Amino acid sequence: MKQKITIGFLLVILIGVIVVMWQDFYKSKNKSQKNPYEYNIDKLKNIDPELIHYKEVLQLNPDINELISIDIDDNDNIYVTGAGKVITYRTNGTVSQSFEIDSTAYSIDVSNNGNIYLGMLNHIEVYDRTGNLKSRWKTLNENVITTSIATTENSVFVADAGNKIVYHYDLEGNLRNEIGKKDTLKGVPGFIIPSPHFDLLIGNLGRLWVVNPGIHAFENYDFDGNLISSWERTSMQLEGFSGCCNPSNIAILSNGSFVTSEKGLERVKVHSPSGDFKSVVAGPDIFEEGTKGIDLAVDSKDRIYVLDPVKKLVRIFEKK
Amino acid sequence: MKKKIATILLLAIISLQVYNIYAIQRFPKPEFESGHTQPPTVTPDPRAQALDILDTFVLVAALSVVTWLVIKKRSRKGVFWMSVFAVLYFGFFREGCICSVGSLQNITLALFNPEYSIPLTAIAFFILPIVYTLFFGRTFCAGVCPLGTLQDIFALKPMSIKTWLEKVLGIIPFIYLGLAILYAATSTDFIICRYDPFVGFFRFDATFMMFSIGGVLLLTGIFIARPYCRFLCPYGALLNLVSRFSKKHITITPTECIQCRLCEDSCPFEAIDKPVLLKEKEERPIAVRRFLMYTIIIPVLILIGGYTGSQFHENLASVNTKVRLANELLNETNYGETEQEAFEITAFKAAGQSKEELYNEVAAIIKKFYIGGWILGGFIGLVFGLTLVSLTIFKYREDYTPNKGTCLSCARCVDYCPVLPEVKTELQ
Repeated sequence: MKQKITIGFLLVILIGVIVVMWQDFYKSKNKSQKNPYEYNIDKLKNIDPELIHYKEVLQLNPDINELISIDIDDNDNIYVTGAGKVITYRTNGTVSQSFEIDSTAYSIDVSNNGNIYLGMLNHIEVYDRTGNLKSRWKTLNENVITTSIATTENSVFVADAGNKIVYHYDLEGNLRNEIGKKDTLKGVPGFIIPSPHFDLLIGNLGRLWVVNPGIHAFENYDFDGNLISSWERTSMQLEGFSGCCNPSNIAILSNGSFVTSEKGLERVKVHSPSGDFKSVVAGPDIFEEGTKGIDLAVDSKDRIYVLDPVKKLVRIFEKK
Repeated sequence: MKKKIATILLLAIISLQVYNIYAIQRFPKPEFESGHTQPPTVTPDPRAQALDILDTFVLVAALSVVTWLVIKKRSRKGVFWMSVFAVLYFGFFREGCICSVGSLQNITLALFNPEYSIPLTAIAFFILPIVYTLFFGRTFCAGVCPLGTLQDIFALKPMSIKTWLEKVLGIIPFIYLGLAILYAATSTDFIICRYDPFVGFFRFDATFMMFSIGGVLLLTGIFIARPYCRFLCPYGALLNLVSRFSKKHITITPTECIQCRLCEDSCPFEAIDKPVLLKEKEERPIAVRRFLMYTIIIPVLILIGGYTGSQFHENLASVNTKVRLANELLNETNYGETEQEAFEITAFKAAGQSKEELYNEVAAIIKKFYIGGWILGGFIGLVFGLTLVSLTIFKYREDYTPNKGTCLSCARCVDYCPVLPEVKTELQ
């Protein structure tokens, strides 16, 4: 009798096993399987208010369909450009002038002598202060994607995301040399640029700083293309940069600190000259999700100008 | 001179390996909230072909040794130690893969899907046990299959169950076999692997559900020996059919049975057929009438089964991921998700296939299931019919003999037989 009960009990369990397997296969799939590889950065969007050292003081609303790039001259005049137009603002935010251009400018730089350099898709256009076209430089390579321009007294540097190289021109548009080509003997790692976000600037010591966005690095070159120094910060946290290609844009403060903007996790921050995180200018909450190409500029009073291409605004930040 | 050139060439080739040192990571590593550090990326080498050949060699060797132990040596102890070896090698060392039980799905998929390139090892693991079974009975089940041998080690206090119940539960492996073939043939799933209750033990990575199922089967196996082999294993169902034709099957007695009845209750798998005396044979007219009745009943059962199976073809197809996706899109049910778009749908949209293309593809899959439903149902009907016949058919038997279909050739019964070959020689 006892044996019968044992066997009966075990058989019920066996049938139970079969039923469980049946249920699991046919019935338990009502819910979507959770994506175990989901890329969720929501938590990283929350920023401690204590770390935000800047406040927004003014907004400009340029009348440009596609707002892309910003620069500030020595007199703190603000230049913005994009699709078919360049607009100049005075420091107080009033428009001083505007002129039309043939196509879209992807970058702008105003030199010390007042010339306006525009990086078009595959060539450079040079305008005088009043908007007269002075010259147009054809680039030598194919597949050029101009993303940034910086000028000194005698040189013009152009970042080409298409060929992953920086061109060094003289003021007449003659190519002097190419900078940043991978050279393991000289310790130049080569630029890794997965998307067309590739910025550069002239630092306070007159040297060229170029972002290597694929490895989240800042690289400092002399004008002959020798790598002087570099730093990199990879982190999902505020201390560094994350994703495939960040920071997307940079600017420099009077003390040599860098202002950086990122895409993916839209935020604007300040890093020390050696790369350490210092403070936050603007967090992801003020940008639309998916905003890319937040161009930056800094005036003589260290006010930070943030170009918001989605909201089509120039947002001006001052230290609190 | 030649030696010097050869040395220089060799050094040049070796120096190429140093190139990897200069490789840099293309993208920085992600950070994890849990503090997990991503291990360095390595590309594992494919398993060496020599090891695949070794597996096949070990399989042949194990089958040969077990068959020799069962048929020639009649050694239960030997079979037991081979079982331990099988658990260690095919189980823990090879982590239950490749296994003959699952290989029938590879074979099926290869037959129905020309794009699938089946490994030769899979073919060998499928065919070799069948060939051995055809000649010597289920010696593979006895001491080579890691799933079976693991349970065998746990069969500590086996109890007997009723013949009719054994027969009824014995139908389940055939249904499982039919379903496994259907799902493999339609490239839907390898359900035998998905619900392999012991592979998780071998790999130390069982999910809670599979750990529970495997645990229950092992614990049940203490009293009802080898429950998976007898009431679930689809490959066992196949071997059951093949083994019926085996020429050199294990016998309980080495010579003539002396009807001592010592072996009567020795089989934990209820696989010993007892003698059936001639006087129990029913009258000829009744037997003829029964034969005629079955001749009609079996085709009817096949038809009913086939029709029933075909009516459930949509239910059977519902587990196919593409069919499921089409259903979710058609009914806009979003996999039951309310807060956000289900990632299956996001992935479908990103893939760029149009809904119409998906629906056409799914229509073809459902058609396959309709045909498969007929065949599966018909097969189950046939199994029911034949089981019914086997329950009632009269087989004259003088001696205690192993049932060639259900006997797992474990050689337990031979230890109970007092007849020895040497004794017979002396008597003669």
